Amino acid sequence: MPAKIDYHHLIQEDKIHGSLYTDEAIYEDELEKLFYSSWVYIGHESEIKKRGDYVTRDIGRSSVIMVRNKDESVKVMVNRCQHRGNMLCNESQGNKRNFTCPYHGWVFGLNGDLLDVSYPGGFDKPLEELNLEVLVTDSYRGFVFACFKKPTISFDDYLGHGKALIDRACNMSPNGKIDLKGGWIRQHFDANWKMLPENDTDGYHVNYVHQSFVMAIDSQYGDFVGAEDSIKGVIKNWGNGHTEIDFAPGYKKMLDWLGSTPEKVKSYVDSMTKTYGKEKADQMLYDGPPHACIFPNLFLAEMNIVIFQPTGVNSAVQWSTPMFLEGAPELDFKLLRQSEGALGPAAFLLADDATIAERAQKALSAGTPWCDLSRGLNRETEDSDGVKTSHMTDETSNRGFWHHYRALMMGELS
Amino acid sequence: MSQIMSAELTKRLEDFVIKEAKLADEGEYQAWEDLWADDGVYWVPLKEGDDPTQQVSHLYDNRTRLATRIRQLKTGYRYSQMPISGMRRVISNYEFFAEADGRYRVEANFFLPEYSIQSIHDFRLWSGRYIYTLSPRDDGFQIHIKKVLLVNGSEPIPSLAFLI
Repeated sequence: MPAKIDYHHLIQEDKIHGSLYTDEAIYEDELEKLFYSSWVYIGHESEIKKRGDYVTRDIGRSSVIMVRNKDESVKVMVNRCQHRGNMLCNESQGNKRNFTCPYHGWVFGLNGDLLDVSYPGGFDKPLEELNLEVLVTDSYRGFVFACFKKPTISFDDYLGHGKALIDRACNMSPNGKIDLKGGWIRQHFDANWKMLPENDTDGYHVNYVHQSFVMAIDSQYGDFVGAEDSIKGVIKNWGNGHTEIDFAPGYKKMLDWLGSTPEKVKSYVDSMTKTYGKEKADQMLYDGPPHACIFPNLFLAEMNIVIFQPTGVNSAVQWSTPMFLEGAPELDFKLLRQSEGALGPAAFLLADDATIAERAQKALSAGTPWCDLSRGLNRETEDSDGVKTSHMTDETSNRGFWHHYRALMMGELS
Repeated sequence: MSQIMSAELTKRLEDFVIKEAKLADEGEYQAWEDLWADDGVYWVPLKEGDDPTQQVSHLYDNRTRLATRIRQLKTGYRYSQMPISGMRRVISNYEFFAEADGRYRVEANFFLPEYSIQSIHDFRLWSGRYIYTLSPRDDGFQIHIKKVLLVNGSEPIPSLAFLI
């Protein structure tokens, strides 16, 4: 039995220890406590529109199937036959009436029930003893989350202010619905998975890691790299490990976040106005979608949806897809090209983030690598709801991530 | 089709593809960009059959974005290509097709060893099929479309910041 890891020592108020990114034992501990025992994001209901539609996802080392059932409900189950453990489904997506194991032909229904065993003469156990392992599943506005074990925290308590963040994303659609049908880019990082959510709500690196982008392209991000007091965006710790860069206070005009204007996307503006009324629609079109991480593995990346997948202590995969808006298909082409521009291995942004993360992974692998996490402690504010806000370049977001992580790893939440 | 194109023409098309590959390998960014036509599209889909108006690609650059890509590489701050990867691609199994409007389509398999030296010093292997649409230009040819079908484009792949 290995010694219990003291996360209170490794994660302090103003600093964290680099072994959190590089220690195999910590990685195994995370898989057990964060990915196999707590709520994780699986996928979106728009990916499985019809009965029998399914996608497979990897949560830690476990492959799961998210499938639309005959009664329209969504089930998430372990992708492993209960007979001899073979993977039931090798495809990443498709449509099936049931799942038949390729090894000995056992047949499972879309709800995971064992329906049929081939050559039944030699098998006299009750079929219901060998149904697939079904995860505890819940969803909010089509975002499906699951837990391998009986969760110690209710879904509502887990999501917390994350609901409002998801609302803001979905409400960018005049129908209030997003559609993830654009396909997934998957980018391999030779860096620990936690560097992805940390970096994605780090407002401090933009002027450095993305200097080449700022120099080469005139984009809305140019408004967020000037002198310290000219940066109007803010950073937020929403609690429960959910964090955000709120760019809205820094936008100069409506639709800056889309790199567009009301004239260029008139039909979208009209649809939004019709749904929400002019005053509210104008405000939403000014503020734009959230740039926020939902702990531990979902990133509402403005007009994209991103999933973080740990694949080892030293590697991770970032999934990304454009967030299409129901009721505004005229934006699809632009959203596709913006998604490719920002996210993925060939993108103007993420390719450089990967390189920087990989250099950090290497540098943190030896010695006593403490990482400072104090930025903004001198100026962040907290509202009556416990939500902390600070200057966009402050580490309020990453403290939010790490202190929630610490509580989960120490078993201090229930 | 190959058989009705002269050996002299297919040799010139092959020479052009080899030149383009060499400029990409060696990071001769401006000379590489100069090979493109005004309507150029540089495209790496996730997989064969993907529709770029419906599905996301690894990259789908029109001429403007391609120029931006080159501009970014030339800033000296594109960390994912600093320093530039060591690359020597091999191209083979050529097929040549005459298209409408005096254009040519050249298809070939490629094998691209990349020594990635920006972070973890990893030796990587890329492979797939190049599909070019070319037309004659005073000094040789120009590129209208370069489509790159990776054998593993649907799988997780590392940085593709270099010119593939």
